[in-house]
Amino acid sequence: MAQLTLNKDVVRKKKTKNTLVRFLKQWDIQLMVIPALLVIFVFSYIPMYGVLTAFKNYNIIKGFMDSPWVGFKYFEQFFHSPDFSRVMRNTVIVSLLKFCIGFPAPILLALMLNEVKNMFFKRLVQTVSYLPYFLSWVIVAGFFGSMLATDNGSINIALEKANLIEDPINFLSIPEYFWTILITANVWKDIGFASIVYLAAIAGVDPHMYEAAEMDGASKFKQMFLITLPSIMPVVIIFMILAMGNLLNAGFEDILLLGANPLLREVTDVLDTYVYRTGIQNGRYAYATAIGLFKAVISVGMLIMANYLGRRSGNSLW
Amino acid sequence: MRSTKKALLVSVAVLMILSLVLAGCSGKNNNGGKEGAAGGSTSSASGGDTSPSESAPAADIYEIGKEPLEFSFYGHYDWYSMPQWGEDVASKWIKENMKVNIKAIQSANNAKQKLNTMMASKDLPDVIWADRHSADIKLLIESDMLVPFDDYIDKYPNLKKWLSTEAINMLRSDDGKLYQFPNWYTNQPNGNAGYVINKKIYKELGSPKLETTDDLYEYLKAVKAKYKDVVPFEPELVIDGQGLDVLYTAFEENALNRWVGNRSIPKDGKMTSVFADPTFRESMQYAAKLFREKLMTQDALTQTRDQVKEKVLNGKVAVYASSSPTDFAAEGDGILSKTDPEAGYFVTWPIAKPGLDKNKIFPGTYSKLGWNVSVITKAAKNPEAIFAFLDWYTGPEGQRILMWGPEGGYWNGLEEDGITPIFTEKYTSDKEGLAKLQADSNNIFWNGNTVFLDTTKAKFESTLPIEQQNWNTHYQYEVTWKTQADATEYSVNMLPSKDSDAGIATQAVEDIFDEYRAKALYAKNDEEVLKILDEANEKAFAVGYQKQLDYQTEAWQANVKKMNGN
Amino acid sequence: MRRLGFGDRTMIITIYILLILLAFSTFYPFWNALVISFNEGKDTALGGVTFWPRAWTWENYSTVFKNDKLVGAFTVTILRTVVGTITSILATSILAYGMTKRELIGRKFYMVVCIITMYFGGGLIPTYLLIRGIGLDNSFWVYIIPSLISVWNMIIFRTFFNGLPDGLQESAKIDGCGNWGTYFRIVLPLSGPVIATLALFTAVYHWNEWFLPSIYITNEKLIPIQTLLQQVLNTNVITANTSALDTASQAILGRMQSITSKSLSMAIMMVATLPIICVYPFLQRYFVKGVLVGSLKE
Repeated sequence: MAQLTLNKDVVRKKKTKNTLVRFLKQWDIQLMVIPALLVIFVFSYIPMYGVLTAFKNYNIIKGFMDSPWVGFKYFEQFFHSPDFSRVMRNTVIVSLLKFCIGFPAPILLALMLNEVKNMFFKRLVQTVSYLPYFLSWVIVAGFFGSMLATDNGSINIALEKANLIEDPINFLSIPEYFWTILITANVWKDIGFASIVYLAAIAGVDPHMYEAAEMDGASKFKQMFLITLPSIMPVVIIFMILAMGNLLNAGFEDILLLGANPLLREVTDVLDTYVYRTGIQNGRYAYATAIGLFKAVISVGMLIMANYLGRRSGNSLW
Repeated sequence: MRSTKKALLVSVAVLMILSLVLAGCSGKNNNGGKEGAAGGSTSSASGGDTSPSESAPAADIYEIGKEPLEFSFYGHYDWYSMPQWGEDVASKWIKENMKVNIKAIQSANNAKQKLNTMMASKDLPDVIWADRHSADIKLLIESDMLVPFDDYIDKYPNLKKWLSTEAINMLRSDDGKLYQFPNWYTNQPNGNAGYVINKKIYKELGSPKLETTDDLYEYLKAVKAKYKDVVPFEPELVIDGQGLDVLYTAFEENALNRWVGNRSIPKDGKMTSVFADPTFRESMQYAAKLFREKLMTQDALTQTRDQVKEKVLNGKVAVYASSSPTDFAAEGDGILSKTDPEAGYFVTWPIAKPGLDKNKIFPGTYSKLGWNVSVITKAAKNPEAIFAFLDWYTGPEGQRILMWGPEGGYWNGLEEDGITPIFTEKYTSDKEGLAKLQADSNNIFWNGNTVFLDTTKAKFESTLPIEQQNWNTHYQYEVTWKTQADATEYSVNMLPSKDSDAGIATQAVEDIFDEYRAKALYAKNDEEVLKILDEANEKAFAVGYQKQLDYQTEAWQANVKKMNGN
Repeated sequence: MRRLGFGDRTMIITIYILLILLAFSTFYPFWNALVISFNEGKDTALGGVTFWPRAWTWENYSTVFKNDKLVGAFTVTILRTVVGTITSILATSILAYGMTKRELIGRKFYMVVCIITMYFGGGLIPTYLLIRGIGLDNSFWVYIIPSLISVWNMIIFRTFFNGLPDGLQESAKIDGCGNWGTYFRIVLPLSGPVIATLALFTAVYHWNEWFLPSIYITNEKLIPIQTLLQQVLNTNVITANTSALDTASQAILGRMQSITSKSLSMAIMMVATLPIICVYPFLQRYFVKGVLVGSLKE
């Protein structure tokens, strides 16, 4: 028995020593990683004491050290505020909608583009569909606003011409329509550019696989689902995990600009716009930090969950 | 193996040095802030000792132009970007002749965070241009980072001459000291709020009487029946009040839309709920009726100012009411009358509910304190010199240069009073050049002297024949300036600081107000308007409306007291 | 080539129709913005400007380019974009390659360290104090160093590197390449599509980012184009707040100037985005070409 424990101790010592030796031996790999991590440490970790602002009655001029601690005051303030339930509900719904529609859309586009054999047409569609990514939300919201307007808005004109409606509909003042408009605008803006990554992944698929499939008489449609999609699955899963971690990012600028009408507040209030309205705009710095921290903690929780699921399929972040 | 070891040694050494450097930095960083702050105040004191102009007795007056003066200037607005000093005619003249150089610190569309970082690092600009009594200014005063003007104001002639004593009192902060140098202060009415009418449509509909709210309603209905693509009533962006606030004043004599802006109505010496105010409720019913019957822009809540402009410039608006409808209307009048002399816009006398005295209806307000203020921070090496400059800048000498350029251009010599410039022939013949000059100096007007400029202009314009007078100026003298009321006592200090209980309540009430005014506008009938406003009232008190009202009552009473010189 | 079956044909046709619709709905608003930027602002305010400018003018652009600091700002932006993209892609991909090594001690820990930064940050003020503390404010390097490592890009790189065939790296090892050698001689050349993609992402970030300079840079010589354009736009917009100015002259000015804030902002947008739009077709080559496949064949 005693012999055994002794042995264990020796093993452990050996192991520690081994680790150090192994560490020294792989200095070249460590040298690839450590300098970069140092940069991260300096620029991301040193300022991180700032999150503690959430627990302080922060006065900008007094500075971080001299501001008094207040514990969870700002968290409680948020949880007890009359807007809490509405904000959380909207955040979850909008981000789920964005996830369910906005996430697969660029994959679909990439798959479709992959089927296009006419290089000129393919290039043209790509070039055009990337354009909106370079536009700011101010402009995009302006486009959508003028398309949906009651006076001379193209959508209303088209609907009236088709005799579907009698009077123009004021789309941007009806809460029921807002989420649809928001998601459409998001897809419109990002679909092209987001598809780049998937196209790059598709480019890496071995063409022999298609040749073999074609020999077997598989239809294009089947090839798409049996070869292309599985081949890019690792990329898709990694992006899905990342997207899950971002689930509470329901949006900010897009909602702020498209949903300016206060009539829509019932459906537009999400965490980030709420932080902006009550926190940044009113200089309630600590309150804003507290809500931000709350959001980050939940996000990381979701990320861990997603990663756990991802690991079961063989792809994980860590 | 050897090379591995060597590399390891090197990397360990690098790591240690790095961590040392970092530790050193963060350590310095922490103290650095405090030292910087302390150093800042001592250096300004010692700076005072060494600088000859300051070490002299206090009675000594700093003379602008005697020695070079340089300071930094920060405009605390997202939209504001200070033009380079010395680029336009006015600042070039000042730079060359008065030896004053001003360095711009830009907000780059991000004012809040820019100022935050400057405050956090105690690296403040010499002058900050911001909203009067704003939370940021209060914080700076509390932290003892601003220079009070009390020692200077009597030494320099202009501010005390042009700004009334009661206005000075109102500008004082809670500690009784004066830190703020005002901009566009005045003691006579100004502003453009009111109703603009489309001339052509009005004539085609037989120029009906347009004095009461009933007249207006009938008129709008007539417009809608005859013109399919014309907006009968354009209230601009109602999210900011605008046309709705103007309509509010039609339903009670001496009612001020400033009250609606404050979200509190004074009654018997106290501030009361706006949702319960009968005048507000009646005006909302009227507005909802217009909206429901499509007599008002259906996009009122979502449109942009560009869209409004487009409509006005095209003559697609019959009646246009806002806090300043004259801007677009003047432009539209110019465009429309070019092709058709019958077309254009005119400003009508304010609408009143039947039975009210139309001479007691004020669609707009003004504040004697003007718009915003400049403050001097303790980062300034010689604050008195900067004050002396601001005082010179707001005086006739400075204002003349900004508005009409250096002597020898649009003016030459002065009248007997020693301040009014004698305008040359070029003033009337080269209107475009003058407009260009004024547009250039527009963004460096930090302490406009409304009374001096308006009186001078009025004196001169009245000597011109009517056709040379300008559309805007004409209606200002005829209508708008006569119908703007003094709301100074309701304009100062009415917002509680944002982190206080009252401030949090105010924000919550603000959200409710926005949402429920929109809902009321969409109401299906008069009863529903009242129901919605009742609901809003209830909700508002649930989030602490009373705290806001108490705060505002106190602030208002304090203002009245201050104005009376206490 | 084999004849396509009926199902295949319908699918291809549907795809073409969908893509054409997408392309049109995307292109039209953009084209319209370009048109507005070449149309007189006054005229645009009258409405109905769609496919072609009605009152052609260079005025919007000449207002933008009148600013003599523009050339310097362009230089700063280009330098920043080029240096920032190259260094960031290099540093990030090296990190990512290191992280693919299963034998790397502390791999999991390092990964968690990286991921945490994606969700927790100290906020603007502590970061600002740090940047000032190490003397990076008012330095060109403030554009480069803090954004050197992108965790997001690192993850994408890592995923792609993991997908590279092991055989290649094994053979490199046999040839006597160390890990660094393998990285530079084998991995990097094989990663054309990923590098092109992420370089574009990074370049777009560097090109469009204007917030950092507004906070960290006061030296006008170091201000990039986006920040400067923001200032041009701001000074030219006559806001309702400043209308206290001599109203008579303002009206004259309004009549004289055909520029409006809308036409000006469209021009500014074009100036700011066109260069990037011109660059990416060249990078795009890499996205559609199977670089990896090609090199495997040889």
